[in-house]
Order: sequence, then C-alpha cells, then structure tokens
Amino acid sequence: MIMEMFSFAFMQRAFVAGALLAVLLAALGIFVTLRKMAFFGDGIAHSSLAGIAIAVLAGAAPLPVALAWAVGVALIIFWLERSTKLASDTLIGILFTASMALGVIMMSFTHGYQPELVTYLFGSILAIQSSDLTIIAVMTAVIAAWLALSFRGLIYMSLAKENAVVAGVPVNIQTAILYVALAAATVLGVKILGIILISALLVLPSAAALMLVSSFRGYLAAALAIAELMVLTGLTASYLYDLPSGATIIVVGTLLFFLAAVVSRLRPAAG
Amino acid sequence: MPRPSRPTNNQGGPPAIAVKDCTVAYGANVVLEGISFEIAQGQVAAVIGPNGSGKTTLIKAILGLIPVRSGEIRVFGKHFHAVRDLVGYAPQRFDFDRSFPITVGEFMNLARHPHSPASRVAEKIKEVGLAAQTVRVQLGTLSGGQLQRVLIAQAILNNPQILILDEPASGIDIAGEATFQELIAHLNQEYGTTVLMISHDIAMVSRLVDNVICVNRQMLCYGPPKEALTARKIDELFGPAVELYEHPGHKRGDRAHGHEHGQRTDHEL
Repeated sequence: MIMEMFSFAFMQRAFVAGALLAVLLAALGIFVTLRKMAFFGDGIAHSSLAGIAIAVLAGAAPLPVALAWAVGVALIIFWLERSTKLASDTLIGILFTASMALGVIMMSFTHGYQPELVTYLFGSILAIQSSDLTIIAVMTAVIAAWLALSFRGLIYMSLAKENAVVAGVPVNIQTAILYVALAAATVLGVKILGIILISALLVLPSAAALMLVSSFRGYLAAALAIAELMVLTGLTASYLYDLPSGATIIVVGTLLFFLAAVVSRLRPAAG
Repeated sequence: MPRPSRPTNNQGGPPAIAVKDCTVAYGANVVLEGISFEIAQGQVAAVIGPNGSGKTTLIKAILGLIPVRSGEIRVFGKHFHAVRDLVGYAPQRFDFDRSFPITVGEFMNLARHPHSPASRVAEKIKEVGLAAQTVRVQLGTLSGGQLQRVLIAQAILNNPQILILDEPASGIDIAGEATFQELIAHLNQEYGTTVLMISHDIAMVSRLVDNVICVNRQMLCYGPPKEALTARKIDELFGPAVELYEHPGHKRGDRAHGHEHGQRTDHEL
C-alpha cells in the first residue's frame, strides 16, 4: 500500500513539497516562537486570499500572485510597526481582515464553484503541480541559504536586540527579510495545508520541541524532526484513509505536541 | 569586513570616547542637553545621576543605538560603527523568554568574533566568577545575579578596548560585587581597557573610577570623584536625602560600603 502510494506522481510531488516545507517552516517557526509572532503566520496566510482572488479573476497562476501579495502585506506590516505606535498584532489583525475582505469581494465577481479557492482554503495533496514544486524548491533553497548565513545573527537579534545592533547585526534589514521569508514560506505551504491551517506548521513543531530540550542545537534538531514526522505521517495517513491532507497533518502534529508535553512531564529537560 | 586595528593605550592617541555638546531627544522631549566630556584611553569612568536623568540614553547614544539631535560623539576618534569590534557592552536589563532553550555557552557564542577561539567562552565565564560548567546550563534557569555576570562575560568575550556597562552590579550580591570590582580593576590595569559604566553606587564610584560624569538631563559635574563629587553636587543631583561621609581606611579596590541613593547613606570619599 505504501509502495503503491509512491507510484503516483501527485503523491511524489506532495511528499517532496511537504518534506521541503516542513524544514523551512520549522526553522522559521523557531523565530516565530522566540519573537512571539504566531499571529503573523495566520494573518499572512489569510491575507493571501486576496492574491489568489486576483489570480483567479485574471486567469493567472495563483501561487506566484499570492506570493507577491503576501510579501507586500509583510512589508507593509514591517513599515507600519516602525512608523506607528500600534502593536504588531493590531496591525496584522487590520491588514489580514482587510485583505481577506478584498479577496471575498473579488471572489464574488466570479461565477459558479471555484475549486481553486476550496483548495487554497483547506489544502490538498492533489493540488501540487510540477510548476508549484519548482517554485517551492527554488524558494526553499533561497530562504534556507539565507537562514544558514544569518542564523546566528537572527537568534542574537531575536534574543538581545540591542546587543546584536552593537555587535553589527543589521537588525532592520534582517527583520524585513525575516518577514518576507515568513510570508513566502507560509504561502508556499498553503496548497498542502490550506490558508486556515498553515500557521500550525509554523507553531506546532517549535512549540513541541521547546518542551523537550534545553539547548538551542537540540531545539533546532527536535523542531525539524517533529515537523518532518508531522508532515510525512500526515500525508501518508491522508492517502491511506482518504482524509483531507492539511487537516490530517495538523491532527498528527497536535498529537505529537501532546506527546511532547507528556514526555517533558515524565523526564527532566535535556539538550 | 576587515577588523579595525587595535588602538594602543597612549597619551597621544585620540580619546577613547569624546562627547561634544550632545543633545538627545525623543520627539519634543529633550532627554539630554549640551553634554560634553572626554574619556582618555585606559581610564575608568562612571556616569551617575538619579532615575530618569538620561544615563542610559547617554550610553545608547555613544553606542549608536539612539541618534543625537545635535553635537558629536567619537570613539577612538571615529564614528562608533567603524570601531564597534573594539567595544563590549552589557545592558542594564535583559528581558527574554526564560523558557527559550539556549545554553549559556550558546548565548555567549552569539557574540564571539570568528577569529576568537571557542575556548574563550569558558575562560570568560570563569573570569566573572562563575563555574566553568555554567556554559552547559540553560540561560533561563540562571538567577538575576548570575545572568548579570553572563552579560558581563559576553561583553568582555572579544577582549574589547572599551567596556561599556549599564548598571553592571544590579542584581549581583555583595560577593559578586567585590568580584565585579576586582574584574574591572584587573581589566583596566592588566590590559588597559577603558571602562565606562553607569552606577548608583557612589561609594564604589569614588574608589574605582578616574572620572565621574554627573548627569541630570544636563551635565552637572565632570572630573575625578574627589573634585567633582562635592556635597553641593550630590545635593543638586539626588536631593538633600543623600549625604556624604568620609570613611578613613578605605582605598581603591576595597569593598563598597553604603550605596543606593534616595536615603541617608554613608558614601565615602
């Protein structure tokens, strides 16, 4: 049954895309947890609806348009954080609802059933096309390269911003890039997990890992392992039992989270 | 980027820190006005003043964290950004999520220059009076005093020429305070490190530093403690509740006696 699953091209694409996105979102999720910005992923994913609606109306490929829209929203949040006294969560709340409202209005101009929209809302393993996989692979490589080069500085500025500035970390530029990377990674994952569920892949692995370790090295390894386990087990279960892929991945991730909570209660934290 | 050459501690070189007629403001709120002083290379200096007097703002302006509205700040004759590798800094407060899994060693390594050996981390941890195995402890499990020592250890990790400390002894117990004072004296005398710190402990300042800078939005005094910290200046800075008493038999490097302002204390001069 498992071997049969990999004989289908759409499953191969879903597994490759899922494995790549798990690494990307888990690594970025560490900063989401550290900087207490879980709402950011949720807000960006929801705001991408407007980008998808524009693409559907224009007859264009939804993923590149949604990516561009989400990156734009992320940069507006970054700019507003620095030019207003409003809290980040307030700004995200305003922009994400405004963007969704725009998407809903634009969707009302289309007629009949919109399978593309349903796919983006809830995710589907059938939805990953070869062109999507190429975009996911290229974007993952670019963001992973940036993360590898900047990881120490990103952790330093997230933990001790002033010290990082004094040490020469370009905090403003790196924060803007982090927002863009988060927006891009979130939208890339929307096809598998859906707008409504994608932010869980940012939060669940790092939150589960946080309970198990005491060192940063252990944290990164545990978050990546949990994310891969969550996505690959979820996709397999989704195929075997004909369940919605996004929802199955999140249920598996939530079970892993509670398992981590139980394990952390039973033994002292270790690195 | 090439590392700037280390300036030598000599009389003819530029001052380690030169602040000239500086004004710093947050919008319409002028926090510091017309501040001028120089700290020569190899000196130990302290900024004192009541809460809200602009001490931390002054430090942040020197570190390039806050722009100055007017005036000029030079470090070794250059803009701070050109010589940042020569400066170590420990902030007054370090608020972070204590559940975040990072060890003391990993936290220290965030600030380690690529050319500094990894063994330097344990070396500096011991130098601030912590056990070597502290490097393996989760940062969030440390006490306030231990965390303060880790911040100081991180500030001296790359053997800086200038050490800037914002209330370094806050949260440290009496034994830790003595270790801290010995460390400052050691760094200054052994390596010629220039030290600028904010302190509320006038007794310690009187013994430890070469020059004191009294700030309360404006500069009220500057010079060697014996000359600058007159009873009138102390009164002007902290009000009549703080008085000074001569304590015979104490010299530079001795343990602090009375400290903290806001009530009658026995600061020695």
